[in-house]
Amino acid sequence: MIKFENVTKRYPGGTVAVDELNLTVPPGKITVFVGPSGCGKTTSLRLINRSIELTSGRILVDGRDVTSVPAVALRRGIGYVIQHGGLFPHQTVIDNVATVPYLLGWDKKKARARAHELLERVGLPASFAKRYPAQLSGGQQQRVGVARALAADPPIMLMDEPFSAVDPIVRASLQEEFLRLQQELGKTIVLVTHDIDEAIKLGDNVAVFAEGGKLAQLDSPARILANPADEFVEDLVGRDRGYRGLSFVTAHDLPVHPVPTTALGASTADARAAVRDQRWVLALDADRRPLGWLDVSQSDMDTVDTVESAALLSVGATFTGDSSMRRVLDGALASPAGYSVGVDADGAFTGAVSTAEVAQHLASQDRVSVEPL
Amino acid sequence: MRWDWIQNNLENIGELLAFHLYLAVVPVVLGLALALPIGFLAVRWPRLYPPMLATSGVLFSIPSLALFIILPGIIGTQILDPINIVIALTIYAGALLVRPVADGLRSVPDHVRQSATAIGYERWRQVLKVELPIALPFVFAGLRFVTVANISMVSVGALIGIGGLGELFTDGFQRNFVTPIVVGMVLSVALALIADSVIVLIQRVLTPWARAGRSS
Ligand SMILES: Nc1ncnc2c1ncn2[C@@H]1O[C@H](COP(=O)(O)OP(=O)(O)OP(=O)(O)O)[C@@H](O)[C@H]1O
Ligand SMILES: [Mg+2]
Repeated sequence: MIKFENVTKRYPGGTVAVDELNLTVPPGKITVFVGPSGCGKTTSLRLINRSIELTSGRILVDGRDVTSVPAVALRRGIGYVIQHGGLFPHQTVIDNVATVPYLLGWDKKKARARAHELLERVGLPASFAKRYPAQLSGGQQQRVGVARALAADPPIMLMDEPFSAVDPIVRASLQEEFLRLQQELGKTIVLVTHDIDEAIKLGDNVAVFAEGGKLAQLDSPARILANPADEFVEDLVGRDRGYRGLSFVTAHDLPVHPVPTTALGASTADARAAVRDQRWVLALDADRRPLGWLDVSQSDMDTVDTVESAALLSVGATFTGDSSMRRVLDGALASPAGYSVGVDADGAFTGAVSTAEVAQHLASQDRVSVEPL
Repeated sequence: MRWDWIQNNLENIGELLAFHLYLAVVPVVLGLALALPIGFLAVRWPRLYPPMLATSGVLFSIPSLALFIILPGIIGTQILDPINIVIALTIYAGALLVRPVADGLRSVPDHVRQSATAIGYERWRQVLKVELPIALPFVFAGLRFVTVANISMVSVGALIGIGGLGELFTDGFQRNFVTPIVVGMVLSVALALIADSVIVLIQRVLTPWARAGRSS
């Protein structure tokens, strides 16, 4: 656990980068510091391992005032990842990863064995061990940076915009891996970003910083989206926060309704009769799992006697009661039939819902305001 | 060319060559030992950087012959003491090396320096194990230049009686005899080329990473 108590940092020259900050970072969770440029996120982060010394107040790590521990010892017990990886260009990947174990005086063999283990953990092939950082892509360097921070198995990790120097596709996959890794490791993590989407995706808690080093709101991502503390936070989470907020609402009590169904090999005439004047019929397999949508208005329907899988269009992402409303809505928007398809735990069809019905349901719930899409 | 003169004076030529090498290399080593802390300080306190550059420029602009001659008066050595040459050339080498050292240290990316501190390097260890190694390509570029410059400057010392291979030039001029002059020139050029290759070799061994980025 990390605790900020009335922490202020004033730089020489007078800039107050952090102003009377009170904040608790719970153990085993990801806490994200988010906010516009220059609002003191990096400064706050670096106060924790005393890369920067605070002006007043105090910071406790697991109950101990950080100033009561020698800075070097404190830092070796806290993992640190920085935007460009901060890798040492003159050392091989393996030696970069083994840096903290070396500093802690592990013998070389043990340190390297540990470094190899971590390379594998972050998804890098063992053949990269002997390379220099300049021989890796940005995303790979970032992974090495994470591996290095984890090498001595510190309970706490500080990460300053760890994924922002790579392109969006690489970033998304690094974020996924990071969450998977955290699920295994359960570290206490403080992550800085200026990207509200990243904060919502990664954070168990999100601390929104405002200009002048003030904390505007500290809450779960869902609550930040649903109840922004003030106009500043509301602006930051943006006009589409309603849509983002759907990630945190489940489809538990979303009413679904039947749609006409058919099966592979059934006669097309029967399928057409079932839909009457409508266009779409849902094909199910023997266990009632959805296979795809059939468009019975297609002109070549007359020439085909039975329902063939080749004629079916994808159902897309299906949802269960545990799925988020965002998934339901995405499913309906992407569906050729305009319906999102619900299934039970075994994947059997339970019912469908249209975009308009989703919106109606959300409006009636009054949980999240859905602004015009 | 009188080949027999060379044969008869082989031993003497060998001694001059060895002495020339000594007079050229020792100041480079001493100059580097001076330039490292000074360059480091100039990076640590950026306000020192401009005056440091100015001072090293002024020092280097003093003509070498003048320095060889006035130095004994300042530090109280014998005029014919080789130590004068060593000290004078050390001043030049130091003055020339301060800038590459400072520029090298300044080339260390901020995120690298920051992460070294955040990971838990002690200050001194960070300088020795992270910043200095990354500065090496700059330092070596400076060393190559200074070493070659020194090898040619040592010869000037012959005008005051201590000049390694330069003594072959004065000898040749005084006797109007071309062979020692040619031998001196060939040997000092060869010495410069070999010294340069040796430094390049050492650099390759010490900074294998510097070529890594380009080969991939
Ligand atoms: N070493 C320093 N000396 C003086 N002022 C500084 C120093 N470092 C940061 N500041 C100032 O402190 C404020 C907070 O900076 P900080 O780097 O913590 O912001 P940040 O939230 O991380 O911003 P960004 O998203 O741009 O990284 C800024 O106004 C900055 O100019
Ligand atoms: Mg920052």
